[in-house]
Amino acid sequence: MPPSQDPLYAGLGQAVRIGTDLLAALIVGGGLGWVCDTYLFGSTPWGIVGGLVLGVMAGIRNAYRSAQRWPKT
Amino acid sequence: MEESPLHPFELHNWLPISLGGLDISINKAVVIMWVVVSLVAALMVMAGSARKLVPGKLQSMAEMMVDFIRGIIMDTMGKEGMRFFPLIATLFLFILFCNLIGLIPGSYTVTSQIVVTAVFACLVYGLSLVMGFLLHGVKFLGILVPPGTPAWLLPLMIPIELISQLARPISLAVRLFANMTAGHVILGVLFGLAISGGLLIGWLPFAFTIAMNGLEVGIAFIQAYIFTVLTCVYLGDAFHLHGHDEHAH
Repeated sequence: MPPSQDPLYAGLGQAVRIGTDLLAALIVGGGLGWVCDTYLFGSTPWGIVGGLVLGVMAGIRNAYRSAQRWPKT
Repeated sequence: MEESPLHPFELHNWLPISLGGLDISINKAVVIMWVVVSLVAALMVMAGSARKLVPGKLQSMAEMMVDFIRGIIMDTMGKEGMRFFPLIATLFLFILFCNLIGLIPGSYTVTSQIVVTAVFACLVYGLSLVMGFLLHGVKFLGILVPPGTPAWLLPLMIPIELISQLARPISLAVRLFANMTAGHVILGVLFGLAISGGLLIGWLPFAFTIAMNGLEVGIAFIQAYIFTVLTCVYLGDAFHLHGHDEHAH
């Protein structure tokens, strides 16, 4: 059982987080855009385009924010 | 004989039960979950029953586990987070034992079903939302505006923050599910190669299977650890609004 201060486990944990953070924001952004397109406004390509762009931004911001919390060694 | 590497993830009803149109059949995953719950409960009760000042093997293992979870909570939430200790310890132990039991050949990895991980993620995220609105009221919506944002950026920042908030439960659920599923698919493919390769070359993928199994034990720990840490981080965000951002600058 590793202690929570173990640098190897903490580092691995941080590394594994960032990939899915990027992906999940992209899924949510694209999904919201698609919902806007198909059900709300009927603005077909533009909702998903804007949603994906916002999703990429949110994903990079998520990754940046979790990297800010890394302990300085 | 060819078999899909996704075959082990299929579930077949052992005891079909239907309650008012709701399918609550008993299958392998349900039984394994019962096993995990009773195993964790039995271990912790047995470890806690002795209460010696100088702990025995089981008791010191349980004490290390509790201390580990306490360390995570103190690092991310601070002292007031300790009131969530029972929930977080339960989540950690359940996920850890599900991951580990799934590595025994012939058993089933419950956490490789996205239903299970999504329920946990929605529980954690819903709890953080409820806590946030109870503690801060409408001001909790301020989590969508990072501190120090100029006013002309607001129309861009609010959608971005909304997406990154909504992405939290999805990334929680998908991370655990994807890691467990991918690991078991790799194990299945390698073992299939070992069997179809025969003695001449089959020992090579078989050695990799053994090595991967060791790696999977590590991944089982790390994924349970990450799920717990992120649970604490999300609940902590609901506690102290923008506390971490101010801390970082």
